[in-house]
Amino acid sequence: MVALPYLLPYLPELTLLVATFVVFLLDVAGEHRRTTLGGVSAFFLIVAFVEVLADLGTWPFHALSTLPASWNGTAQGPILFTSLGIVFQGIFLAIAALVAIASLSEAEDPDGTPTFYALLLLASLGMLLVAISGDLILLLLAVEVTGISTYVLVGYTRKDRRALEAAMKFYIIGAFSTTISFFGASLVFGAYGTTSLLAFSQVPSDPSLALVGFAMIAVGLGFKVTLVPFHMWAVDVYDGAPAVVSAYLSAGSKKMGLFALFAIFVGAVRVFDTAGNGYALAIMMGGLAIATMTVGNVLALQQQTMKRMLAYSSISQAGYMLIGLAVNTTPSLSAATLQMVANVLMKGGAFVAVAAAAAIGVGPLITDWKGLGHRRPILSASFAIMLLSMAGIPLTLGFVGKFYLFFSAILAGGLFAILAIVGLLNSAISVFYYARILKHIYMPEETGSPDAHGGTRSLASSTLGSSTSPTDPQPSVAISEFRAMGYARMGVIVACAVLLIALGIYPTPIVTALNAAAHQFVALH
Amino acid sequence: MYDLSILLLIAFAGAAITFFAGAKARWVALVTSVGTLAMSMWFLGTFLNGNPLDYRFVESYHWLTFATTNGGSLAVNYTVGIDGISLPFLFLSAILSVATVIYHWEERKDAAGFFGLVALTNAGLLGVFVSLDVLLFFVFWEIVLIPMFFLIGHWGGPRRHYASLKFFVYTHVASVVMLVSLLAVVFLGQWPSLDFVNLANNSQGVANLDAANILPATQVVLFGALFFGFGVKLPMVPFHTWLPDAHVEAPTGGSVLLAGMLLKMGGYGLIRLAFPLLPAGHVGLEPVVLVIAFASIVWGAFLSLSQRDMKRLVAYSSINHMGIVLLAIALWTQLSVTAAVLLMFAHGLVSGLLFMLSGSVHHTFGTRDIPSISGMNSRTPALTTILMIGSLASLGLPALVSFPAEFSALLATWEALGWWIILPLLALVITAAFYLWMIQRMAFGPPRGVPDTAHDLPTHELLAMVLLVSLIVLYGILPFLIVTYIPHTAIFVGCHYGGPGVCPTSP
Repeated sequence: MVALPYLLPYLPELTLLVATFVVFLLDVAGEHRRTTLGGVSAFFLIVAFVEVLADLGTWPFHALSTLPASWNGTAQGPILFTSLGIVFQGIFLAIAALVAIASLSEAEDPDGTPTFYALLLLASLGMLLVAISGDLILLLLAVEVTGISTYVLVGYTRKDRRALEAAMKFYIIGAFSTTISFFGASLVFGAYGTTSLLAFSQVPSDPSLALVGFAMIAVGLGFKVTLVPFHMWAVDVYDGAPAVVSAYLSAGSKKMGLFALFAIFVGAVRVFDTAGNGYALAIMMGGLAIATMTVGNVLALQQQTMKRMLAYSSISQAGYMLIGLAVNTTPSLSAATLQMVANVLMKGGAFVAVAAAAAIGVGPLITDWKGLGHRRPILSASFAIMLLSMAGIPLTLGFVGKFYLFFSAILAGGLFAILAIVGLLNSAISVFYYARILKHIYMPEETGSPDAHGGTRSLASSTLGSSTSPTDPQPSVAISEFRAMGYARMGVIVACAVLLIALGIYPTPIVTALNAAAHQFVALH
Repeated sequence: MYDLSILLLIAFAGAAITFFAGAKARWVALVTSVGTLAMSMWFLGTFLNGNPLDYRFVESYHWLTFATTNGGSLAVNYTVGIDGISLPFLFLSAILSVATVIYHWEERKDAAGFFGLVALTNAGLLGVFVSLDVLLFFVFWEIVLIPMFFLIGHWGGPRRHYASLKFFVYTHVASVVMLVSLLAVVFLGQWPSLDFVNLANNSQGVANLDAANILPATQVVLFGALFFGFGVKLPMVPFHTWLPDAHVEAPTGGSVLLAGMLLKMGGYGLIRLAFPLLPAGHVGLEPVVLVIAFASIVWGAFLSLSQRDMKRLVAYSSINHMGIVLLAIALWTQLSVTAAVLLMFAHGLVSGLLFMLSGSVHHTFGTRDIPSISGMNSRTPALTTILMIGSLASLGLPALVSFPAEFSALLATWEALGWWIILPLLALVITAAFYLWMIQRMAFGPPRGVPDTAHDLPTHELLAMVLLVSLIVLYGILPFLIVTYIPHTAIFVGCHYGGPGVCPTSP
């Protein structure tokens, strides 16, 4: 008989499992409305999120986390609880909850709705398992649980041909990458004689075999994380999928892949630094990071549609985060995780904002957003904050994350400083395309006739006299904006923007928690 | 106790309220900027009591802790304080934002947004000049970019989109380079926190901020990077090309803040960080810095001479003036640094005035093309008078604020470099030539290009200009009113950080 206290650490997972069944049961009972299904999903996701916060001891119910204290950092069979893993559980649940709430504003779709929420919960369950895996096989299986759920999630509408095409592409690439990962895992098992993740910080009996295996696992997970050159599928899928699903893929399942990389490689990268193998894995990770940042950014420069731009910028963000693994120190892992927290808010929020804009008839092109700053001030301001955060402009969480990341790379010194410099150059390039979007939103070509302050005085006053201030506080405008684009959706967007700023100004609690978690993680592996 | 925090709070809260104040935005912006002005005047009044070597009004609160590789940590603090170098800039920033708000009193195009952005620029600038922590400094440094990007891009001239993007990308790249080299200084110098309050508040220096930890060769590299980061902002030849574009397209208020304050950030950064932090670096790169300074002086002057557009002329003359500032900083003696700060203060007032003038000329005559306007004085006597005062101030006429500044800068150049002084002197002659030539063409002669409907300055524009003119005259006649404050800084002490006046730094 299992004693109840031993189940407590699994409370978030159990909660999601229950939630999945509840959604399936409601479907069987003939309940297809978004408000019910989405509300139930969001409720359970938030409950699980609170449980995770409790596990972290950052919530009043600290007592809960003291129960399995002896488990923290100790492998229990294939399960390994680490503070960093719990932090990632929080990240996964946050993005899932965000998507669940935002999707309440999507159109009713009796066939698709139950599938959507059930799969969302199932995919999140897989992510939670990834975060507590202490064993390579369990980890890859959990990745697959999420993977299969998300393949279907992309095409859940079943009517949209582009979404179906995207789902098909995603599925084929996903299956392919899984195969590579598992092949790599078998080689790693051959080299180490065990699949425990903690063993990878030892010198393997056959280093070159292990290296090949690790490389294959990195390739397989690289597809999930959209590392260049394994990124080809990502843009088409993000572009074709419904925007909320894109938000989930970009901000959620990509982070899962990164955590899987962390869990497998943090020990291994260090071992291969010291075991006379040069810097094989660090160089591989660094090279992937450089390629991913650069290609993602350069291609993002040329995009004409908003979703594709966000997709490429999401690829480049993955490159920044991989710097954390290449540098492989406490500050770098802490920084990469901080950057992921920022990504949940800015990438998740931005894709939801695209969905919101589509709901009021804004086309897919970047130029379709022209002048939106005047017509939809709240949506535009929130979106602008997200873009500034992606560009790494201060007072946003994106800045703190990027700063800390480059800081950690420079701190590590030597060749790692190159990563920081390439990252900074990329960051400078990226400013160009983010600023260009801001320009379209707030500085449309048509309204400002060339004589903004030119012409004679009489002319100037006659042409400009008619325009009114866009920032006049007219509550009716705000309410109508929320109504037009959906209260839930707008609520999520505004909350993301506010959090980006608030945490950008005062990131102290998060950074402190992440530093401790990363420290434990590095010490453990 | 909380003086500087209150100043920042007024500035940022005022800016935030302005955005949402609708039709009353201009009043909120005015109250905000007058509030910051009152605070900075209060600082001027109470500043001189205290140890000349200490930062005043220092506040420090823990903000963030970053982990470092060996299990240690590096604190980032909210640390603010002012000394004699930063105080004139605080005052200048507040004055210029008051003048800008008054000048644009009748702004119609998205007025709330405009005044909000002006107030936000002011807030960011105040933040830059009071920060004593690397990260805080950078945060404010970047905050200034955003409102200026929108000011140029939305309220600017025909090519405003190009100009705003170019401005943003150029200066952002520069600030990123600056940040990296500052971090490298922090790590290599093994600072315990990112604060630089301890950098020079102690005549013996503080051991843990000692640049001696950093090899001279490394210092040269880092100094080069910092110099690039700050120099683009200054701007220096050959990285000056963003400036004419940004200025010509910016709305008048944007130009005033751009020339008056944003350029000063570069000079301030050089004085506050680049030179004191890396003594071996600036000694090593002294020839490069001097060559660039001379090039900026001469190149800026010659380019001004060939401009037809009045605003472009003023913009290029800024390059020339900032070249003299760079020269004065590069000499790094007590006299020259004092002169550099005074020059920047003077240039802030004078270029602000000149950009307002070119805006008003554009309003009144529908063009800023110098050759197509003539005989202004018959129709618009007030505008013409102020134009003459502004031009004379810019060319360094005695009794106007630029004179003591340029004179002391030249004196320092003579002391340090001897006959090389001919180069800046030659440039001064050219400056005088192009301003006098401009006045001659525009103000006098038969009226041409002056529409009959043209009327003289409206009250609010006149008021803003009179404010600046009176300060230009006041500080021209009584320069000690601002010069008194400048030596109240530990940068001037000892040789430890290559403090000016003691160590031989001239080539």
